[in-house]
Amino acid sequence: MKSYTDAIENGKRQLLVADDEFVNREMLGNILESEYDILKAEDGEMAYEMIRQNRNTLSLILLDLIMPKLTGIELLNRLNNDPELKGIPVIVLTSDQDSEVESLKKGAYDFIPKPYPQPDVIKARISRSIELAEDRQIISSTERDELTGLFTIEYFYRYCNQYDKFYPLQDMDALCFDINHFHVLNERFGMAKGDEILKCIAGRLEKAFGDTGSFVCRKTADTFLVYCPHHDDYSHIIDEVSAVIEELEAAVKVRVGVYSFCDKKLDINARFDRAKIAADKIRNNYSVFISHFDEALIDAELYAEQLVDEFPKALAENQFRVFFQPKYDVRGDEPVLSSAEALVRWFHPSLGMISPGVFIPLFEEDGLIAQLDEFVWRRTSETIADWKKRLGVSVPISVNLSRAEMYDPGLIAKMEKITDDNGITPKDLYLEITESAYVSDSDQIIERVKTLREHGFFIEMDDFGSGYSSLNMISELPVDALKLDMKFIRSAFDKHNDTRMISIVIDIADYLGVPVIAEGVETEEQYLALKRLGCEIIQGYYFSKPVPADEFEQFLMQKRS
Amino acid sequence: MITIEALKQFGADTGDGLSRCMGNEAFYFKLIGKVVDDDNFAVLERAISEKDLDTAFEAAHSLKGVLGNLALTPIYTPLYEITELLREKRDIDYSPYLNTISEKRKELSGLLA
Repeated sequence: MKSYTDAIENGKRQLLVADDEFVNREMLGNILESEYDILKAEDGEMAYEMIRQNRNTLSLILLDLIMPKLTGIELLNRLNNDPELKGIPVIVLTSDQDSEVESLKKGAYDFIPKPYPQPDVIKARISRSIELAEDRQIISSTERDELTGLFTIEYFYRYCNQYDKFYPLQDMDALCFDINHFHVLNERFGMAKGDEILKCIAGRLEKAFGDTGSFVCRKTADTFLVYCPHHDDYSHIIDEVSAVIEELEAAVKVRVGVYSFCDKKLDINARFDRAKIAADKIRNNYSVFISHFDEALIDAELYAEQLVDEFPKALAENQFRVFFQPKYDVRGDEPVLSSAEALVRWFHPSLGMISPGVFIPLFEEDGLIAQLDEFVWRRTSETIADWKKRLGVSVPISVNLSRAEMYDPGLIAKMEKITDDNGITPKDLYLEITESAYVSDSDQIIERVKTLREHGFFIEMDDFGSGYSSLNMISELPVDALKLDMKFIRSAFDKHNDTRMISIVIDIADYLGVPVIAEGVETEEQYLALKRLGCEIIQGYYFSKPVPADEFEQFLMQKRS
Repeated sequence: MITIEALKQFGADTGDGLSRCMGNEAFYFKLIGKVVDDDNFAVLERAISEKDLDTAFEAAHSLKGVLGNLALTPIYTPLYEITELLREKRDIDYSPYLNTISEKRKELSGLLA
């Protein structure tokens, strides 16, 4: 495509004066030559040839309508039918008012009457037409995606909105097409092939949605958006579009998220966000290629966003509370309370009790977890100090450390400050670190854990068995206890009744000389089996659910007596 | 030798013509020199004598544009009139117009000599 900057490369824009009369050509040339490079043609065919040759540099054509060989009107028609030449603005030179109207209808930008008006008027009309044409070209080059020729996102949204304004009652669907694992295609076949595929898909989409009232755009690399009147079924379109890729024998498919019957009160981009949410829901599904948006999806997203937004307020208003779940030493005949785990609960004023399984992953993603954990550490330390002071008895309480906190250089100082502030020792506060934290960057984490232990903290490796620790790493693990991943307990006691994995973990703990803690123990059967296998500490509903600090006091009182 | 004064005497609107030549008298005179020899005068006369009114119209139309631009009013005026008549393909005696045009053209040629 011609770039408008080509036309001014040598400092002067180029004009063609096409008129069979020498006097007229010379006169215009003389008026314009100080500002423009002038080409001159004395008949229609010659003009056409010069236009073709200079199509990338020509800024404007001054065209006489009555010329030998090819009339000005015939030449205008030729230009109109040639996409390469269509964009060059034409000003018609004429002495007939009838011809003025006809040529404007045929796409001329303006006309200059004969006899010519004052030179200043001619110059102004020419420069205005060039300006208009160049502006239009800038618009049209930003309106279309260079690779596929589809609308760019800005213009796409603009046209969708315009359409809605004219057809407010038409039911519309917002679609988001994505290619599953497009980057793999690029890797396998190269970028050039990838681009070819995108062009091909663009072509198929344009064909499939060629009817009026449908708009297609390429949003990003392999994401295409379509806004169209409602269809009940898009499966044939998915088949057509996917056929492009199947020709390559690649295991790649196009998926589409559909937001049907768009709520037109929503912003146009929010409608496509919904289509995108639907498309992403089936990202890794290799058997489903169409996904419809339903309100539950947005509800889940909005809910998550609300929780993250309200976190600071919840923390300030003490909506988070720390509960304690006892752990029992089961080595003797009678289980003995040995410690407890601190677990956070969120009592939301309008949403009620929110499960940590819902908000912890969100806060881990957002980095808010550090603030929440610190709150739990502090509240737990205060509670331990309170029990010691009032009841004269306590047990060590374990708190969780997230992976991110393990990288915090101030972690040890922070933990020590919390214990110091409350007059307790590191021995009162056990730290649960999930196994996967060790695996991600084992050397650094192992160093950090070693330092924590040197400062007197007791380390329990949480979720052991879920994090793919290497056997090599296990032998060097600086830990004080292994906590069995809950999944082992569940699968060991489901219909398979296979406890071999638990035995293996217990053997590993024996080798390391540390106790095994089983959590999530719910029944007497589980309790007895784990005890028989050699599990030393047990936590779970079998003994007690997590309870508030005041209720936990009864366990401490029992221990004291 | 042609002068602006002589052209004014002839009836040309030299202010208008000169301004289209960016005030350049030599350039103005050069273009006037070209137009007196324009083939279209001969084409016009022959086409009218052959009753080829379309060709006559095209020739008159072209001349009208050029003479108008040079502001050579005494030739422009009859050319303007004949062009409109030819556009309507009026079957009339065009010789009075042709005679005026021819006379005035000769007069102009005389100024150039």
